[in-house]
Amino acid sequence: MLQRIADFWAAYASTLSYGMVNAFFALATYATLSAGILSFAAVTFGAAGGFLGAQLVLHSGLPMVAIFVLSGCAGLAMALVIAVVFLRLSSHWMALASLALVLITRVFVLNAPVLTGGVNGLSIPQRLPMGWLAVALGIVVIGFYTLHHSWYGIAARAVREDPSVAACMGIDARRIQFIAFGVSGIVGGLGGIMLALYLQFVSPDTFFIGVAFTMIAGTVLGGSHHWFGPVLGAAVFTALPTIMQAIVPDIQDIANGVALLLIMIFLPRGLIDPRAIRLRRVAR
Amino acid sequence: MKLLTLSEVTKSFGGVTAVGGLSFAVRQGLVTGLMGPNGAGKTTVINLITGLLHPDSGSIRLVESELGVAAPHVIAQLGLARTYQNVRLISGMTALEQVMAGSFLKRETSLIASFLHLPAARRRMRALEERARHLLSRVGMADRADVLAETLSYGEQRRIEIARALGAEPRLLLLDEPTAGMNAAESHAIGELIHRLRDEGLTVLMVEHNMKLVADFCEHVVVMNFGRLITEGTPAACIDDPDVQEAYFGKARDADRLGALR
Repeated sequence: MLQRIADFWAAYASTLSYGMVNAFFALATYATLSAGILSFAAVTFGAAGGFLGAQLVLHSGLPMVAIFVLSGCAGLAMALVIAVVFLRLSSHWMALASLALVLITRVFVLNAPVLTGGVNGLSIPQRLPMGWLAVALGIVVIGFYTLHHSWYGIAARAVREDPSVAACMGIDARRIQFIAFGVSGIVGGLGGIMLALYLQFVSPDTFFIGVAFTMIAGTVLGGSHHWFGPVLGAAVFTALPTIMQAIVPDIQDIANGVALLLIMIFLPRGLIDPRAIRLRRVAR
Repeated sequence: MKLLTLSEVTKSFGGVTAVGGLSFAVRQGLVTGLMGPNGAGKTTVINLITGLLHPDSGSIRLVESELGVAAPHVIAQLGLARTYQNVRLISGMTALEQVMAGSFLKRETSLIASFLHLPAARRRMRALEERARHLLSRVGMADRADVLAETLSYGEQRRIEIARALGAEPRLLLLDEPTAGMNAAESHAIGELIHRLRDEGLTVLMVEHNMKLVADFCEHVVVMNFGRLITEGTPAACIDDPDVQEAYFGKARDADRLGALR
């Protein structure tokens, strides 16, 4: 029995780690989405944190905690600059602009080999211990929990559901969304260094459409109305291919798609939906 | 004292003049009614005052502050709160949370203190929560505090919206058709609530269709049609005014003619 558990762990520890890395990106997407902004810019924040973090691991000899903090700060700085520009746009244009930003990021990374290793990327000899990853994710989750229960959380929910009503209550939507971008930047930057350490390699394709798709899918799947949604969504989205391969290896890709479709049809607001939970409480 | 003054306010949408050279004042401590048939421009006036729209010309002043092209959240900080013609509560929030959101301006807590849940911030949050429960009980919704607001009846939602507006402790409360869809008894209860609030020093500007409610509960009435002022004065004088009756019921001459045809 013990042997079985050990085997299972050996086989799936990597999937679990990857799920946690994806949770950072899903939470970075949720940070802006929960203030009413659909944005893919977390990919760029991830690139800022990922490449800076990778360079620091390779050349600075700083302790890991300091590298995490600096990567988060790199994401934050990038996010605040981008927020100043993006918050002049209205919502759907912002989504498009953030997609364009993902494309620009790749071109920039390719053409700045001094910073990013260019087309060859950067190899990182160090591995990321899973304990570190879990602790970092835990701290981020606690951060989202406290944010949710703060005045910022209340204001963000109002802005997301009805910006003009929120404005008439005295809430400055732009300020709330600026903070949301800041939070997204920190978490995205952390996600960047985590992804770099998990893969032990960063290249222009590390922070590209693949990550953008994973983080949006994870957030939508898990539910974008509560911080636990993106964490669970990222885990399910990461684990689903592995699980399907174990159960139905022949039709793995089809089963994958069907499972995702079923969740989206029957739980359109995601796996975690506080409103539905409250409605059920009323019905009882 | 005049709390709110509109002078020569004009607002056009394309070629349509929704509000044309409108001037009136809301005096402190009174319940002022804004009347007029459908399409008269009443809601546009409310949207202009709250800053959701900006006037093409003319001025809107709240005591000493010229509202001009100020953003809605800036105007709210000056002491203005509103409700909506078709209730606009925030989806997913309980009644209590709605009122808490409405109390945002009273939080007296910095972002960092709120995020770190410092003792002072927690105390303030708890005090506001108690106040929110009190506001809910004032509008008769005390036992609904922890219910998801969107599951409540229309009349109950309207009451919660009023409690939410009171959360900001406004100087001027704008009510956009507070009794739409209510029966006579419910309307009367809302009217009495408005009077109690006025007695505590709140100034109210209320858009209302219900003539009985206006007659019973407003101290001053402003009547508009086609974006212009027809008349203003006491409710009785306004309702008896032939121009007002014509705006609401049509011309007496036409009525005679229709009577003859029948």
